[in-house]
Amino acid sequence: MTNFKHIEENLKKEAKKLLEAGSVAVVLAYTEGMDEKHPQPFAAQSVADADKIIFNEYCNHNLARYIIRYAPGTKIALAVKAADSRAVVVLIQEEKIKREDLILLGIPADGMKNSKTDEIIDAKTTGGLANPVIYDILLGEEIHTGKPVSPYTVLEQYEKMDKDARFAFWKEQFDKCIRCYACRKACPMCYCDPCFIDQSKPRWAVKSPQSHGNLMYHLTRFQHLAGRCIDCGECTRACPVDIPLYLFHKFVAKECEEMFQQAAGMKIDDKPVMVDFRVEDSDKILE
Amino acid sequence: MSDSALKKIAIDKINDLAAALMQKGTLIAPVREEKGSNFREIKNPQDIYLDYDNTLLSPKNIFFPQMEDFVNYQLGKDATPAKPVELNLKPAFLFGVRPCDVRSFAIMDTHFYAVGIIDPYWKARRDATTIIGYAFDLSKPADPADFYNTLGIGAADPEGSDIFMVKKDKELLLKGITPQGEALLNGLTMLAAGNAADEKYFTEYVKKGKEPRTRMMCLDDKTIAKKYEQIFENTEYWTRMADGCLSCGICTFVCPTCYCFDICDEDIFRQGARRRIWDACMFTDFTLEASGHNPRTKVYQRLRQKVCHKYSFSVRKYDVISCVGCGRCTRSCPVNIDIYSIVSEAMKA
Ligand code: SF4
Ligand code: SF4
Ligand code: SF4
Ligand code: SF4
Repeated sequence: MTNFKHIEENLKKEAKKLLEAGSVAVVLAYTEGMDEKHPQPFAAQSVADADKIIFNEYCNHNLARYIIRYAPGTKIALAVKAADSRAVVVLIQEEKIKREDLILLGIPADGMKNSKTDEIIDAKTTGGLANPVIYDILLGEEIHTGKPVSPYTVLEQYEKMDKDARFAFWKEQFDKCIRCYACRKACPMCYCDPCFIDQSKPRWAVKSPQSHGNLMYHLTRFQHLAGRCIDCGECTRACPVDIPLYLFHKFVAKECEEMFQQAAGMKIDDKPVMVDFRVEDSDKILE
Repeated sequence: MSDSALKKIAIDKINDLAAALMQKGTLIAPVREEKGSNFREIKNPQDIYLDYDNTLLSPKNIFFPQMEDFVNYQLGKDATPAKPVELNLKPAFLFGVRPCDVRSFAIMDTHFYAVGIIDPYWKARRDATTIIGYAFDLSKPADPADFYNTLGIGAADPEGSDIFMVKKDKELLLKGITPQGEALLNGLTMLAAGNAADEKYFTEYVKKGKEPRTRMMCLDDKTIAKKYEQIFENTEYWTRMADGCLSCGICTFVCPTCYCFDICDEDIFRQGARRRIWDACMFTDFTLEASGHNPRTKVYQRLRQKVCHKYSFSVRKYDVISCVGCGRCTRSCPVNIDIYSIVSEAMKA
């Protein structure tokens, strides 16, 4: 089991060191919210702030989400679990941030929990990795116990549905959508400003919560995440009406992996699949 | 026996009551859904779910639907024939509303008609609806996010309901609060008359409901309103509060007292509608002007609008805090931002 207290102490210690030395302007971590079970993302900017940092099994929010809030060139340290680190990798690949502006405080963790449902967050709704894929300082022991579970196992049922059944499934799910846009706002890969759905010239979809507009919003967003989604599951956890968005993202991620042998955000030197072209690339889509 | 005598019904007989109300009009009650419960129009009395703490979405959409068409039209080459949408309301019964939500209706009335700007859609729905309030279950602890006591609301306050219900073991006790509610109760033949013990139980329950149950701080309307005026420019405080905020719209959409909307024309296959849809100050494009200028580009500015509107502007303009402490925003926030903590931090800022 992950020793969360130990990680919390290390996180505080490193944050303090970095802020004291002035090597970063801000440390992105977590602090206590309403209670211990409801931690909040937190931007520590002083040594005194560092004391308020916490880390426990409910700190699942993807901190990479907040990086683009800071002016380019700001020196940022952030706590990265596996998913956060993959998001950072994509942001670097897409030139939203520079590697040298970041200090990554790696957190190996398993047994993270969803504070709303108390469910363990595992390969069902996320990539299921325990260790960050990149880091500068590791705050705990890397985890190499347990058999790695494929993040795509959960697709079994979904893949059994035919085209019509899938369409019916998504229509029913999207009819619940209240268009609060939390899925997009929680997503570290959804950084566009303005997002296509907020544009009025042209207007890409109606903004009222109706089937056709909801479908347009989600299918477009899904496409924009193809090959980029790092499977953190934040969109699904954010959704107030429980739409299993992860199913679509995982499905596309799996296709991508099969066609291009590459999962998003795993290696900093990879080119994002959507901007790369290799002669040997799969033509499956065209067949 | 006086008209306002207490009535009762066994909870497992609730279907009879529901059927009678469905005869008289539209019945709206909590039903259980995948993630929590919500108020929905009841088609099948079995769906009513009374064992809930509070609903996920607030009942405001009963009076203020998320989407509402005012005019429908057909886009044509030379002419665009248009037809206003008629409301055609049947009497409605909103069954099982918690006291904090009942209080929210009065606050929304302020905005939608009481101060003189009348929203005919809100008012027509309000006038057509009988509110059947329902005390929180005092035998269970309150949800940790709740703080309605802070806003002076008790867990069993009948105020604002036409009929108020209290659970007693396997029975529901029902009391008419307004003449309209009493008349309705008297016409419902499946209800039994309550006895003296029931009367006592009801009165004591309401009294016990006044005891602190939720999170509570001492909050004077004028003081907090003034405080927010003073710290409006305190960027340090606001950025701190907004550190984690994603600027999504969940908190405003689930809020029973957020009432912002957008009126827009939308069409598909040349069938158009001028409609209103919910909007919210937490959205990036809420303040986007036609020129392209956006006066609120930062997350903290949007969060500041939300909090100040509720705790300051509303007090200054209408003498009321536009929040009922139902805790929905806190419960639904993906990153656990808690308005109660924001307000209590303000006192220290
Ligand atoms: S689409 Fe969802 S799972 Fe994928 S990166 Fe965005 S928030 Fe994470
Ligand atoms: S978070 Fe859920 S309800 Fe909100 S826009 Fe996304 S899918 Fe719709
Ligand atoms: S407070 Fe929470 S729910 Fe509201 S906009 Fe911010 S992140 Fe979304
Ligand atoms: S808080 Fe924001 S969304 Fe709610 S009523 Fe005020 S301005 Fe509108």
